[in-house]
Amino acid sequence: MLSRTADNLFWMCRYTERAENTARMLDVNLQMSLLPQDTQTREGSWLGVLRISELQGLYQSKYASISPHDVLQYMVRDPANSSSIYSCMRAARENARAVRGSLTTEVWETYNTTWLELLKHLHTGLLERNPGEFFEWVKFRSHLARGVTIATMLEDEALYFMRIGMHLERADNTARMLDVKFHERGGAGTQDSRAEPAGAAAVQSEFYRWSALLSSVSGLEIYRKVYRDVITPDRVAELLILHGDMPRSLLASMRAMADDLARVSNQRSTETERRAGMLCAELQYGRVEDILASGLHRYLDRFLDRINDLGNRISQDFLVPLSA
Amino acid sequence: MKQIITHVTHYRYTAPVNYSIQTLRLTPRDDEHQRVLRWNIEAPGQLDKQVDAYGNITHTLTLNQPHSDIELRVSGQVLVAPLTRGVLGSEDSRLPVHAYCVPTQLTQADETILAFARSVLPNGLSTSDDILNLAAAIHARVAYVPGTTDVTTAADQVLALGLGVCQDHAHLFLACVRGLAVPARYVSGYLYTTAEHAASHAWADVWLPDVGWTSVDITNNQFASECHCRLAVGRDYDSASPVRGVRTGGGEESMEISVQVQAGAQR
Amino acid sequence: MKHPPARPSAYDEMRDGENRIRAHYQAFERWHTEQSDEAMSVRRLEADLSFRRVGITFSVAGDAAGTERLIPFDLIPRIIPADEWRLLEAGLKQRVRALNLFIRDIYHGHDIVRAGIVPAEQVFLNAQYRPEMQDVAVAEDIYCHIAGVDIVRAGAGEFYVLEDNLRVPSGVSYMLENRKMSMRLMPDAFGRIKVEPVAHYPDLLLDNLREVAPHGGDDPTVVVLTPGMYNSAYFEHAFLAQQMGVELVEGQDLFVEQNTVYMRTTRGPRKVDVIYRRLDDDFLDPLAFRADSALGVPGLLSVYRAGRVTLANAIGTGIADDKSTYLYVPDMIRFYLGEEPLLSNVPTWRCGRPDELSHVLANMHELVVKEVHGAGGYGMLVGPSASRADVEAFKDRVRANPANYIAQPTLALSTTPTYVESGIAPRHVDLRPYVLCGKEIRTVPGGLCRVALTEGSLVVNSSQGGGTKDTWVLED
Repeated sequence: MLSRTADNLFWMCRYTERAENTARMLDVNLQMSLLPQDTQTREGSWLGVLRISELQGLYQSKYASISPHDVLQYMVRDPANSSSIYSCMRAARENARAVRGSLTTEVWETYNTTWLELLKHLHTGLLERNPGEFFEWVKFRSHLARGVTIATMLEDEALYFMRIGMHLERADNTARMLDVKFHERGGAGTQDSRAEPAGAAAVQSEFYRWSALLSSVSGLEIYRKVYRDVITPDRVAELLILHGDMPRSLLASMRAMADDLARVSNQRSTETERRAGMLCAELQYGRVEDILASGLHRYLDRFLDRINDLGNRISQDFLVPLSA
Repeated sequence: MKQIITHVTHYRYTAPVNYSIQTLRLTPRDDEHQRVLRWNIEAPGQLDKQVDAYGNITHTLTLNQPHSDIELRVSGQVLVAPLTRGVLGSEDSRLPVHAYCVPTQLTQADETILAFARSVLPNGLSTSDDILNLAAAIHARVAYVPGTTDVTTAADQVLALGLGVCQDHAHLFLACVRGLAVPARYVSGYLYTTAEHAASHAWADVWLPDVGWTSVDITNNQFASECHCRLAVGRDYDSASPVRGVRTGGGEESMEISVQVQAGAQR
Repeated sequence: MKHPPARPSAYDEMRDGENRIRAHYQAFERWHTEQSDEAMSVRRLEADLSFRRVGITFSVAGDAAGTERLIPFDLIPRIIPADEWRLLEAGLKQRVRALNLFIRDIYHGHDIVRAGIVPAEQVFLNAQYRPEMQDVAVAEDIYCHIAGVDIVRAGAGEFYVLEDNLRVPSGVSYMLENRKMSMRLMPDAFGRIKVEPVAHYPDLLLDNLREVAPHGGDDPTVVVLTPGMYNSAYFEHAFLAQQMGVELVEGQDLFVEQNTVYMRTTRGPRKVDVIYRRLDDDFLDPLAFRADSALGVPGLLSVYRAGRVTLANAIGTGIADDKSTYLYVPDMIRFYLGEEPLLSNVPTWRCGRPDELSHVLANMHELVVKEVHGAGGYGMLVGPSASRADVEAFKDRVRANPANYIAQPTLALSTTPTYVESGIAPRHVDLRPYVLCGKEIRTVPGGLCRVALTEGSLVVNSSQGGGTKDTWVLED
């Protein structure tokens, strides 16, 4: 298929995934902020939201302080923020419009309706009235788009590039979120995640913290099923990074991406496939003890570099090169 | 005159260029008044040769891998015969001379240009003296000052500015001649010169019914001679320029040119 | 010169002078009377909704908001009996054959100019003349692969050619969609009345395009080159690409390397053999034409001149379709084919000629005056419906640049019953049949019928508020 068409489909799915993950993250943060917290912790968690998308600098040049209201506005509505839910959904829809001919009617109408409904929700202030409902809506629309795609699109290159885009974005977003959330500590910088909690209150807050993180990736029930035990940071890391059966884990995303890359393989993509394969293998045979021993932050940082490299290479090998 | 020519063009880019395509009009034509003894173009890729609409020998260079510069080296020897009052005569070409009567964006004659042309040639243009007179008038009116114009400067701006270089003289001349309903074309080539003017040069040909093409160098206020080695003709700079290219990526472009034309010993 | 009467009551397609239904409309009229008003209303609404959903819209020039408008579709078809179509078809084929020969001649030996029939200035000083095409060989000697010829019926019912469109003629997608819509909404009418099908147009077109691929290709790759989704005819570009099963590409999807045109695909570069281009010549190649065009493919011209890619329509066909060349078409038919034209031109006065100019200025209130270099119904004066002030102002424009204007009598275009606010009433129509030139010249029966929706208006262009109808050519 035309590289430009594949490029539009790829980005259409990346932006949809990004919007969904942003909604998940904001939702979790919102729920966490309902718990008793000191101001520093609260502010720290909202700052964390900005840091995940590397937006803290841009935010601070626009807003005087970090308040839940302002961060939500910035991350949901602000068109000047290219990673806001508004911007992501608009970009997704624009990409869909550019390749309408390659989509089934149902898929196009899903993206178009999502966009129109978003405008309506923003206009009627759903975010302010009932943010939980708003974020549910975002997630639901993303699920719907995926479902309609799987149900109606021909199993060919269009579908593969859409999936590659989705999984690439998911792996990237999940790694970023893990990195930031693991190292939050009342607004301070990174700390080793194996620091022992102290006291009953701390235990309780830790529980809510990790269960909130798991909920944001729809992983709470899965955790219980897999581990049947209390929630510990080590196991959370293991589940979200190394557990292939957990749909949003880094391994699951990488595997799906590598499979689809093999399907679209062309004369130029051998090196890209090799790198994807290597990353997959490391995740497949990795052990959480080793990751934590060498430092989770360093590990995730390196992972993000490699994901970013893969993204660039995929654009270069198949799609429209990013520098063009 | 035997002209020994070396011409190096070097483009540099601040960012990698993903893809570039150039049309080179850097090969002198073989005809009655000019014989190519030896000619060579060195370029960083394959050159596809073709003859264009105006009879020029062109080469297309495509580079489809990232690159940050392009260097073109041209060298050779051409034997240029002397001309009598710039007369080239007729050519074996099926392209109707009317095609050279059409104004282009760079050679559009506005009211001011038409008035200027009519003031110099109130009886129109029909003799080679007329050609020389018009050239002299433009030579007097537009001073040769490099750096005041660029390749997008059109004839009306040249007249208004009163400054320019050889291609501006040529464009204004063409606008005037075409405004008087006479066919004329742009000529790009090399000039053997000991003066300060650059050796890469532009002048013009005018079509007179009984004579054919007459070649005139406006910048030097004289008919073209054995000092003028012809590379290409066209309606204006855009269709006759030595190098014309399109690229994707590259950031900012900078260009260096060096041209040397020397007179060789003739047997 | 024949002078059809200035403002007669127009020829009506459906009813004759004594208000009787013409034979070829009788079956439809019978069906129509059986339908209740409400049923027809519902059908019309359905058509509107359906067209809007599919996105058969376009943007109107000068509309600042760039909003997309629906081109109104009228359910009542224009019906043409078989024998009439045969005459039209023969005339169209003859005309397009001569036009192709003319274009070829202009870009080769200039015989018609040397014979003194067409002045050299008319051709070589024309802004549409492309020196780049001199002596270039094109596949099968076909320059105009797709022509749209605008036909009107006037006076006592005779046909005239209003205009030839040989560059990037559009509208065929409306013809096809209108037929689909009619068949969906009035299936039993089609059950009773035998109408010649049109749906095979994309197949014919694809066949032709493949036939003109450069030699040496077994399975030629054909693409449709579009300026992109902001172009007013984008729907048609996408529609035709999809119907033919070929890729829809933009300039940025193609590149030239080693004298070949390639398409950027996920599997790597793929050679392109035939480009059905919906871009004007000027924008095709920033290396050869307008340097500021981001829509074209740099280097395309050199690949084309080398015969390694075919463009449909060829570069430079505009030399044959402007309003001043129109005057010579009957002479072309005589010169190249040795035949008398089967279809007449509209009588035309050239304002560039002093005696004709004075006639035009004296009678402008009765004439239609058009700019030679203009399109889409703009730059035109319809004398009878213009105010005196407008007529005087237009006279000044003509005096300032007479060579740029031609004038024609106000033809009372034929009318066809059309749904209007108050019910059904006659409205003026024209017809644009499409002629496809491959190894054979073929047409698809009928064409795009455009209707001026405002009472008395003769302006049918969609860009100025006209509508369309389905055209039914009856089977024998």
